[in-house]
Amino acid sequence: MIGIVVVSHSLALAEAAVALADEMVHGEGPVVAVAAGAAGGFGTDATEVRRAMEKAASPDGVLVLMDLGSAVLSAELALELGPPSEHAVRLTAAPMVEGLVAAVVRAAGGADLETVAREAEAALLPKVVSLAEHTPLPALVAVEADVSARLMLVNPQGLHARPAAQIATAVGGLSAEVAVESGGRRADASSSLELMTLGAGQGTEITVSAVGADAEQAVAAVREMVEAGFGELEAS
Amino acid sequence: MGSLSVVEAVTVDRLVAWLSAFRDAVHEHGAYLTELDSAIGDADHGANLIRGMDAVMAAVEPPPGNAGDLLKKVGMTLVTSVGGASGPLYGTFFLRAATAVGDATVLDGPALLTALRAGLEGIVARGKAEAGDKTMYDALAPAMGAFEEALASGVEPAVAARTAADAAAAGRDATEPMLALKGRASYLGERSVGHVDPGAASSALLLAALADTLES
Repeated sequence: MIGIVVVSHSLALAEAAVALADEMVHGEGPVVAVAAGAAGGFGTDATEVRRAMEKAASPDGVLVLMDLGSAVLSAELALELGPPSEHAVRLTAAPMVEGLVAAVVRAAGGADLETVAREAEAALLPKVVSLAEHTPLPALVAVEADVSARLMLVNPQGLHARPAAQIATAVGGLSAEVAVESGGRRADASSSLELMTLGAGQGTEITVSAVGADAEQAVAAVREMVEAGFGELEAS
Repeated sequence: MGSLSVVEAVTVDRLVAWLSAFRDAVHEHGAYLTELDSAIGDADHGANLIRGMDAVMAAVEPPPGNAGDLLKKVGMTLVTSVGGASGPLYGTFFLRAATAVGDATVLDGPALLTALRAGLEGIVARGKAEAGDKTMYDALAPAMGAFEEALASGVEPAVAARTAADAAAAGRDATEPMLALKGRASYLGERSVGHVDPGAASSALLLAALADTLES
Protein backbone atom coordinates (compact mmCIF):
# COMPACT_ATOMS: atom_id res chain seq x y z
CA MET A 1 0.00 0.00 0.00
CA ILE A 2 1.33 3.45 -0.88
CA GLY A 3 2.05 6.04 1.81
CA ILE A 4 0.64 9.56 1.78
CA VAL A 5 2.09 12.88 2.97
CA VAL A 6 0.06 16.04 3.57
CA VAL A 7 1.97 19.33 3.51
CA SER A 8 0.00 22.29 4.80
CA HIS A 9 0.59 25.78 6.14
CA SER A 10 -1.70 24.89 9.03
CA LEU A 11 -1.51 21.90 11.37
CA ALA A 12 -5.21 22.23 12.21
CA LEU A 13 -6.11 22.24 8.51
CA ALA A 14 -3.96 19.18 7.78
CA GLU A 15 -5.20 17.18 10.75
CA ALA A 16 -8.83 17.93 9.96
CA ALA A 17 -8.33 16.96 6.32
CA VAL A 18 -6.76 13.66 7.40
CA ALA A 19 -9.61 12.97 9.85
CA LEU A 20 -12.13 13.68 7.11
CA ALA A 21 -10.41 11.30 4.72
CA ASP A 22 -10.10 8.61 7.42
CA GLU A 23 -13.89 8.56 7.72
CA MET A 24 -13.93 6.91 4.31
CA VAL A 25 -11.70 4.02 5.31
CA HIS A 26 -13.04 0.98 7.09
CA GLY A 27 -10.28 -1.41 7.93
CA GLU A 28 -6.65 -0.89 7.14
CA GLY A 29 -5.77 2.39 5.46
CA PRO A 30 -2.55 3.94 4.23
CA VAL A 31 -0.02 5.67 6.48
CA VAL A 32 -0.77 9.39 6.23
CA ALA A 33 2.03 11.58 7.60
CA VAL A 34 1.53 15.30 8.16
CA ALA A 35 4.06 18.11 7.80
CA ALA A 36 2.31 21.34 8.69
CA GLY A 37 3.11 24.71 10.19
CA ALA A 38 6.55 26.18 10.84
CA ALA A 39 8.15 27.84 13.82
CA GLY A 40 4.90 27.48 15.75
CA GLY A 41 2.76 29.36 13.20
CA PHE A 42 1.49 29.15 9.65
CA GLY A 43 4.10 27.98 7.19
CA THR A 44 5.91 24.94 5.90
CA ASP A 45 9.27 23.47 6.86
CA ALA A 46 11.15 21.36 4.32
CA THR A 47 12.91 19.35 7.05
CA GLU A 48 9.50 18.41 8.51
CA VAL A 49 8.33 17.43 5.02
CA ARG A 50 11.40 15.23 4.67
CA ARG A 51 10.63 13.52 7.98
CA ALA A 52 7.02 12.96 6.91
CA MET A 53 8.21 11.44 3.61
CA GLU A 54 10.38 9.04 5.58
CA LYS A 55 7.54 8.18 7.97
CA ALA A 56 5.18 7.40 5.08
CA ALA A 57 7.86 5.58 3.07
CA SER A 58 6.62 2.43 1.34
CA PRO A 59 8.05 0.17 -1.37
CA ASP A 60 4.85 1.01 -3.28
CA GLY A 61 5.74 4.71 -3.23
CA VAL A 62 4.59 7.89 -1.55
CA LEU A 63 2.09 10.47 -2.78
CA VAL A 64 2.53 14.05 -1.49
CA LEU A 65 -0.39 16.48 -1.38
CA MET A 66 0.18 20.19 -0.69
CA ASP A 67 -1.86 23.31 -0.07
CA LEU A 68 -0.65 26.82 -1.05
CA GLY A 69 2.38 27.58 -3.22
CA SER A 70 5.21 27.61 -0.72
CA ALA A 71 4.16 24.15 0.47
CA VAL A 72 5.19 23.06 -3.03
CA LEU A 73 8.56 24.79 -2.65
CA SER A 74 9.16 23.08 0.69
CA ALA A 75 8.14 19.67 -0.68
CA GLU A 76 10.49 20.05 -3.65
CA LEU A 77 13.32 21.15 -1.37
CA ALA A 78 12.60 18.18 0.93
CA LEU A 79 13.42 15.83 -1.95
CA GLU A 80 16.90 17.39 -2.10
CA LEU A 81 17.60 17.16 1.63
CA GLY A 82 19.51 13.95 2.11
CA PRO A 83 19.96 11.03 -0.28
CA PRO A 84 17.30 10.33 -2.93
CA SER A 85 14.48 8.12 -1.69
CA GLU A 86 14.76 4.42 -2.56
CA HIS A 87 11.09 4.41 -3.48
CA ALA A 88 9.07 6.66 -5.76
CA VAL A 89 7.95 9.92 -4.16
CA ARG A 90 5.43 11.80 -6.25
CA LEU A 91 4.26 15.36 -5.67
CA THR A 92 0.74 15.82 -6.96
CA ALA A 93 -1.12 18.93 -8.06
CA ALA A 94 -4.32 17.44 -6.63
CA PRO A 95 -6.50 19.75 -4.52
CA MET A 96 -5.58 18.99 -0.93
CA VAL A 97 -8.95 18.11 0.61
CA GLU A 98 -10.72 16.46 -2.31
CA GLY A 99 -7.49 14.85 -3.46
CA LEU A 100 -6.69 13.46 -0.04
CA VAL A 101 -10.12 11.85 0.31
CA ALA A 102 -9.80 10.24 -3.11
CA ALA A 103 -6.20 9.20 -2.48
CA VAL A 104 -6.84 7.60 0.91
CA VAL A 105 -9.78 5.62 -0.47
CA ARG A 106 -7.89 4.38 -3.50
CA ALA A 107 -4.71 3.66 -1.55
CA ALA A 108 -6.68 1.65 1.02
CA GLY A 109 -8.03 -0.38 -1.89
CA GLY A 110 -4.50 -1.29 -2.88
CA ALA A 111 -4.23 0.90 -5.99
CA ASP A 112 -0.72 1.67 -7.23
CA LEU A 113 0.93 5.10 -6.99
CA GLU A 114 0.11 6.02 -10.58
CA THR A 115 -3.56 5.23 -10.15
CA VAL A 116 -3.88 6.94 -6.78
CA ALA A 117 -2.19 10.06 -8.16
CA ARG A 118 -4.51 10.12 -11.16
CA GLU A 119 -7.60 9.73 -9.00
CA ALA A 120 -6.44 12.45 -6.61
CA GLU A 121 -5.77 14.81 -9.50
CA ALA A 122 -9.23 14.16 -10.93
CA ALA A 123 -10.87 14.77 -7.57
CA LEU A 124 -12.07 18.25 -8.44
CA LEU A 125 -14.11 16.86 -11.30
CA PRO A 126 -17.32 16.03 -9.43
CA LYS A 127 -17.47 19.61 -8.13
CA VAL A 128 -16.62 21.09 -11.50
CA VAL A 129 -19.24 19.00 -13.23
CA SER A 130 -21.97 19.67 -10.72
CA LEU A 131 -21.38 23.42 -10.85
CA ALA A 132 -21.15 23.34 -14.63
CA GLU A 133 -24.68 21.94 -14.91
CA HIS A 134 -26.08 25.46 -14.88
CA THR A 135 -24.31 26.34 -18.09
CA PRO A 136 -24.61 24.42 -21.35
CA LEU A 137 -21.64 22.19 -22.02
CA PRO A 138 -19.74 22.78 -25.22
CA ALA A 139 -20.88 20.41 -27.91
CA LEU A 140 -18.94 17.18 -27.95
CA VAL A 141 -16.16 17.34 -30.45
CA ALA A 142 -16.86 14.77 -33.10
CA VAL A 143 -13.96 12.37 -32.93
CA GLU A 144 -13.78 9.75 -35.63
CA ALA A 145 -13.84 6.64 -33.49
CA ASP A 146 -12.29 3.46 -34.80
CA VAL A 147 -14.86 1.40 -32.95
CA SER A 148 -17.96 2.35 -31.01
CA ALA A 149 -20.95 0.70 -29.44
CA ARG A 150 -24.22 1.81 -27.85
CA LEU A 151 -24.91 -0.13 -24.68
CA MET A 152 -27.64 -0.23 -22.06
CA LEU A 153 -26.66 -0.29 -18.39
CA VAL A 154 -28.55 -3.23 -16.91
CA ASN A 155 -27.06 -3.44 -13.43
CA PRO A 156 -29.10 -1.88 -10.61
CA GLN A 157 -26.74 0.96 -9.68
CA GLY A 158 -25.42 1.95 -13.09
CA LEU A 159 -21.93 3.46 -13.28
CA HIS A 160 -21.25 3.82 -9.58
CA ALA A 161 -17.82 3.55 -8.04
CA ARG A 162 -17.12 -0.15 -8.47
CA PRO A 163 -18.23 -0.59 -12.09
CA ALA A 164 -16.49 2.67 -12.97
CA ALA A 165 -13.28 1.37 -11.44
CA GLN A 166 -13.72 -1.93 -13.32
CA ILE A 167 -13.98 -0.12 -16.64
CA ALA A 168 -11.08 2.20 -15.83
CA THR A 169 -8.89 -0.75 -14.87
CA ALA A 170 -9.84 -2.77 -17.95
CA VAL A 171 -9.13 -0.01 -20.48
CA GLY A 172 -6.27 1.60 -18.57
CA GLY A 173 -3.79 -1.05 -19.70
CA LEU A 174 -4.81 -1.00 -23.36
CA SER A 175 -3.30 0.97 -26.18
CA ALA A 176 -6.44 2.95 -26.96
CA GLU A 177 -8.17 6.23 -26.12
CA VAL A 178 -11.55 5.15 -24.82
CA ALA A 179 -14.46 7.48 -24.12
CA VAL A 180 -17.87 6.90 -22.62
CA GLU A 181 -20.67 9.32 -23.51
CA SER A 182 -23.96 9.72 -21.75
CA GLY A 183 -26.46 12.57 -21.50
CA GLY A 184 -24.33 14.91 -23.61
CA ARG A 185 -21.19 14.40 -21.53
CA ARG A 186 -18.04 12.58 -22.39
CA ALA A 187 -15.80 10.85 -19.86
CA ASP A 188 -12.35 9.37 -20.23
CA ALA A 189 -12.97 5.67 -19.60
CA SER A 190 -9.60 5.27 -17.90
CA SER A 191 -10.74 7.58 -15.07
CA SER A 192 -13.28 6.09 -12.72
CA LEU A 193 -14.01 9.53 -11.29
CA GLU A 194 -14.85 10.94 -14.70
CA LEU A 195 -17.07 7.94 -15.38
CA MET A 196 -18.89 8.51 -12.09
CA THR A 197 -19.57 12.15 -12.95
CA LEU A 198 -21.68 10.96 -15.90
CA GLY A 199 -24.29 10.00 -13.32
CA ALA A 200 -25.43 7.14 -15.56
CA GLY A 201 -27.95 4.95 -13.73
CA GLN A 202 -29.75 1.70 -14.57
CA GLY A 203 -31.47 1.79 -17.94
CA THR A 204 -29.23 4.55 -19.27
CA GLU A 205 -27.84 4.17 -22.74
CA ILE A 206 -24.15 4.90 -23.07
CA THR A 207 -21.88 5.16 -26.08
CA VAL A 208 -18.44 3.63 -25.83
CA SER A 209 -15.95 4.71 -28.47
CA ALA A 210 -12.29 4.01 -28.90
CA VAL A 211 -9.37 5.07 -31.04
CA GLY A 212 -6.06 3.24 -31.23
CA ALA A 213 -4.46 -0.14 -31.80
CA ASP A 214 -6.52 -1.88 -29.11
CA ALA A 215 -9.75 -0.01 -29.88
CA GLU A 216 -11.70 -3.10 -30.77
CA GLN A 217 -10.51 -5.01 -27.72
CA ALA A 218 -11.35 -2.06 -25.46
CA VAL A 219 -14.92 -1.67 -26.69
CA ALA A 220 -15.42 -5.44 -26.52
CA ALA A 221 -14.17 -5.48 -22.91
CA VAL A 222 -16.54 -2.70 -21.87
CA ARG A 223 -19.42 -4.34 -23.73
CA GLU A 224 -18.82 -7.62 -21.93
CA MET A 225 -18.76 -5.95 -18.51
CA VAL A 226 -21.84 -3.83 -19.19
CA GLU A 227 -23.85 -6.74 -20.56
CA ALA A 228 -22.85 -8.90 -17.62
CA GLY A 229 -24.09 -6.17 -15.29
CA PHE A 230 -20.59 -5.86 -13.81
CA GLY A 231 -21.16 -9.12 -11.97
CA GLU A 232 -24.00 -7.58 -9.98
CA LEU A 233 -26.92 -9.33 -11.65
CA GLU A 234 -26.71 -12.64 -9.80
CA ALA A 235 -26.59 -10.82 -6.48
CA SER A 236 -29.66 -8.68 -7.13
CA MET B 1 32.94 52.90 5.61
CA GLY B 2 36.74 52.50 5.57
CA SER B 3 39.20 51.98 2.78
CA LEU B 4 37.80 50.13 -0.20
CA SER B 5 40.92 48.04 -0.61
CA VAL B 6 40.90 46.34 2.81
CA VAL B 7 39.03 43.17 1.84
CA GLU B 8 40.57 41.17 -0.96
CA ALA B 9 39.40 37.79 0.22
CA VAL B 10 36.38 36.81 2.27
CA THR B 11 37.00 34.69 5.37
CA VAL B 12 34.44 32.71 7.33
CA ASP B 13 34.40 35.47 9.95
CA ARG B 14 33.69 38.00 7.22
CA LEU B 15 30.78 35.87 5.99
CA VAL B 16 29.44 35.77 9.55
CA ALA B 17 29.75 39.57 9.66
CA TRP B 18 27.73 39.74 6.42
CA LEU B 19 24.99 37.58 7.93
CA SER B 20 25.03 39.72 11.04
CA ALA B 21 24.69 42.88 8.95
CA PHE B 22 21.76 41.29 7.08
CA ARG B 23 20.17 40.36 10.41
CA ASP B 24 20.50 44.00 11.54
CA ALA B 25 19.06 45.19 8.23
CA VAL B 26 15.96 42.99 8.45
CA HIS B 27 15.42 44.21 12.01
CA GLU B 28 15.80 47.83 10.90
CA HIS B 29 13.61 47.41 7.81
CA GLY B 30 11.31 44.66 9.08
CA ALA B 31 8.29 46.94 9.34
CA TYR B 32 8.91 48.17 5.79
CA LEU B 33 9.21 44.60 4.45
CA THR B 34 6.01 43.60 6.21
CA GLU B 35 4.25 46.71 4.92
CA LEU B 36 5.24 45.77 1.36
CA ASP B 37 4.02 42.24 2.01
CA SER B 38 0.72 43.46 3.46
CA ALA B 39 0.06 45.23 0.16
CA ILE B 40 0.47 42.15 -2.01
CA GLY B 41 1.00 39.15 0.28
CA ASP B 42 0.32 37.80 3.73
CA ALA B 43 2.06 40.52 5.73
CA ASP B 44 4.72 38.38 7.32
CA HIS B 45 7.89 38.86 5.28
CA GLY B 46 9.61 41.16 7.76
CA ALA B 47 8.64 39.10 10.77
CA ASN B 48 9.64 35.86 9.01
CA LEU B 49 13.09 37.12 8.08
CA ILE B 50 13.70 38.59 11.53
CA ARG B 51 12.82 35.22 13.08
CA GLY B 52 14.94 33.41 10.50
CA MET B 53 18.03 35.60 10.79
CA ASP B 54 17.87 35.64 14.60
CA ALA B 55 17.83 31.83 14.45
CA VAL B 56 20.72 31.88 11.97
CA MET B 57 22.92 34.06 14.17
CA ALA B 58 22.24 31.77 17.14
CA ALA B 59 23.05 28.70 15.02
CA VAL B 60 26.39 29.97 13.69
CA GLU B 61 27.81 30.72 17.12
CA PRO B 62 30.54 29.49 17.29
CA PRO B 63 31.07 29.68 13.51
CA PRO B 64 31.75 26.41 11.62
CA GLY B 65 35.29 25.98 10.36
CA ASN B 66 34.70 26.50 6.64
CA ALA B 67 32.46 28.48 4.32
CA GLY B 68 30.50 25.47 3.08
CA ASP B 69 29.55 24.31 6.58
CA LEU B 70 28.64 27.86 7.54
CA LEU B 71 26.40 28.48 4.53
CA LYS B 72 24.79 25.04 4.86
CA LYS B 73 23.92 25.78 8.47
CA VAL B 74 22.45 29.12 7.39
CA GLY B 75 20.34 27.43 4.71
CA MET B 76 19.00 24.68 6.97
CA THR B 77 18.22 27.14 9.73
CA LEU B 78 16.25 29.38 7.36
CA VAL B 79 14.34 26.37 6.02
CA THR B 80 13.20 25.38 9.50
CA SER B 81 12.57 28.82 10.98
CA VAL B 82 11.15 31.12 8.30
CA GLY B 83 7.89 29.40 7.38
CA GLY B 84 6.79 31.41 4.34
CA ALA B 85 8.01 30.96 0.78
CA SER B 86 11.16 32.86 1.66
CA GLY B 87 12.20 29.90 3.87
CA PRO B 88 12.71 27.39 1.06
CA LEU B 89 13.86 30.12 -1.34
CA TYR B 90 16.52 31.76 0.85
CA GLY B 91 17.25 28.31 2.26
CA THR B 92 17.95 26.96 -1.21
CA PHE B 93 20.06 30.06 -1.99
CA PHE B 94 22.40 29.35 0.92
CA LEU B 95 22.40 25.55 0.52
CA ARG B 96 23.41 25.82 -3.14
CA ALA B 97 26.02 28.45 -2.29
CA ALA B 98 27.36 26.06 0.37
CA THR B 99 27.75 23.28 -2.17
CA ALA B 100 29.55 25.68 -4.53
CA VAL B 101 32.17 26.79 -1.97
CA GLY B 102 32.76 23.36 -0.42
CA ASP B 103 35.32 23.34 2.37
CA ALA B 104 37.02 26.60 1.38
CA THR B 105 37.92 28.82 4.33
CA VAL B 106 38.66 31.92 2.24
CA LEU B 107 36.79 33.10 -0.85
CA ASP B 108 38.26 35.45 -3.42
CA GLY B 109 36.04 37.56 -5.65
CA PRO B 110 35.40 34.90 -8.32
CA ALA B 111 34.69 32.23 -5.65
CA LEU B 112 32.21 34.55 -3.97
CA LEU B 113 30.54 35.24 -7.32
CA THR B 114 30.35 31.50 -8.05
CA ALA B 115 28.68 30.91 -4.69
CA LEU B 116 26.14 33.71 -5.18
CA ARG B 117 25.40 32.55 -8.73
CA ALA B 118 24.85 28.98 -7.54
CA GLY B 119 22.45 30.37 -4.95
CA LEU B 120 20.55 32.32 -7.58
CA GLU B 121 20.35 29.27 -9.84
CA GLY B 122 18.90 27.36 -6.90
CA ILE B 123 16.22 30.01 -6.44
CA VAL B 124 15.37 29.81 -10.13
CA ALA B 125 15.15 26.02 -9.98
CA ARG B 126 12.98 26.19 -6.87
CA GLY B 127 10.66 29.07 -7.72
CA LYS B 128 10.68 28.81 -11.55
CA ALA B 129 10.82 32.61 -11.59
CA GLU B 130 11.83 34.50 -14.69
CA ALA B 131 12.86 38.10 -15.21
CA GLY B 132 9.87 40.40 -14.81
CA ASP B 133 7.77 38.05 -12.68
CA LYS B 134 8.06 40.52 -9.77
CA THR B 135 10.11 38.34 -7.44
CA MET B 136 13.46 38.32 -5.63
CA TYR B 137 14.95 37.18 -8.94
CA ASP B 138 14.41 40.68 -10.33
CA ALA B 139 16.80 42.09 -7.71
CA LEU B 140 19.28 39.20 -7.54
CA ALA B 141 19.80 38.54 -11.25
CA PRO B 142 20.92 42.07 -12.19
CA ALA B 143 23.08 42.09 -9.06
CA MET B 144 24.95 38.95 -10.15
CA GLY B 145 25.41 40.39 -13.62
CA ALA B 146 26.82 43.62 -12.20
CA PHE B 147 29.07 41.73 -9.77
CA GLU B 148 30.51 39.63 -12.59
CA GLU B 149 31.06 42.62 -14.87
CA ALA B 150 32.76 44.59 -12.11
CA LEU B 151 35.09 41.71 -11.20
CA ALA B 152 35.97 41.28 -14.87
CA SER B 153 36.97 44.95 -14.99
CA GLY B 154 39.53 44.19 -12.28
CA VAL B 155 38.08 45.95 -9.25
CA GLU B 156 38.25 44.67 -5.64
CA PRO B 157 35.47 42.37 -4.38
CA ALA B 158 34.21 45.20 -2.14
CA VAL B 159 33.74 47.50 -5.12
CA ALA B 160 32.10 44.75 -7.11
CA ALA B 161 29.76 44.04 -4.19
CA ARG B 162 28.75 47.71 -4.03
CA THR B 163 28.02 47.69 -7.76
CA ALA B 164 25.95 44.54 -7.23
CA ALA B 165 24.08 46.13 -4.31
CA ASP B 166 23.25 49.17 -6.45
CA ALA B 167 22.00 46.91 -9.24
CA ALA B 168 19.88 44.97 -6.74
CA ALA B 169 18.35 48.22 -5.46
CA ALA B 170 17.54 49.29 -9.02
CA GLY B 171 16.09 45.85 -9.68
CA ARG B 172 13.98 46.12 -6.52
CA ASP B 173 12.61 49.51 -7.61
CA ALA B 174 11.86 48.14 -11.06
CA THR B 175 9.46 45.59 -9.54
CA GLU B 176 7.03 48.35 -8.56
CA PRO B 177 5.15 48.64 -11.88
CA MET B 178 5.33 44.89 -12.55
CA LEU B 179 2.39 42.50 -12.51
CA ALA B 180 3.15 39.63 -10.11
CA LEU B 181 3.28 36.30 -11.90
CA LYS B 182 4.65 34.08 -9.12
CA GLY B 183 3.89 33.50 -5.47
CA ARG B 184 0.97 34.59 -3.34
CA ALA B 185 0.99 38.07 -4.91
CA SER B 186 -0.01 36.53 -8.25
CA TYR B 187 -3.48 35.84 -6.82
CA LEU B 188 -3.95 39.62 -6.77
CA GLY B 189 -3.45 40.07 -10.51
CA GLU B 190 -3.60 43.76 -11.50
CA ARG B 191 -3.74 44.81 -7.85
CA SER B 192 -0.10 43.77 -7.46
CA VAL B 193 0.94 46.59 -9.78
CA GLY B 194 2.26 49.70 -8.01
CA HIS B 195 3.92 47.91 -5.09
CA VAL B 196 7.56 46.95 -4.67
CA ASP B 197 8.01 43.19 -4.29
CA PRO B 198 8.93 42.28 -0.69
CA GLY B 199 11.30 39.50 -1.75
CA ALA B 200 13.13 41.83 -4.13
CA ALA B 201 13.38 44.35 -1.30
CA SER B 202 14.89 41.86 1.16
CA SER B 203 17.24 40.59 -1.55
CA ALA B 204 18.49 44.14 -2.07
CA LEU B 205 19.14 44.31 1.69
CA LEU B 206 21.16 41.08 1.48
CA LEU B 207 23.42 42.55 -1.23
CA ALA B 208 23.69 45.91 0.55
CA ALA B 209 24.77 44.06 3.71
CA LEU B 210 27.44 42.25 1.71
CA ALA B 211 28.77 45.51 0.27
CA ASP B 212 28.77 47.19 3.69
CA THR B 213 30.62 44.24 5.21
CA LEU B 214 33.30 44.08 2.55
CA GLU B 215 33.88 47.84 2.72
CA SER B 216 34.26 47.95 6.49
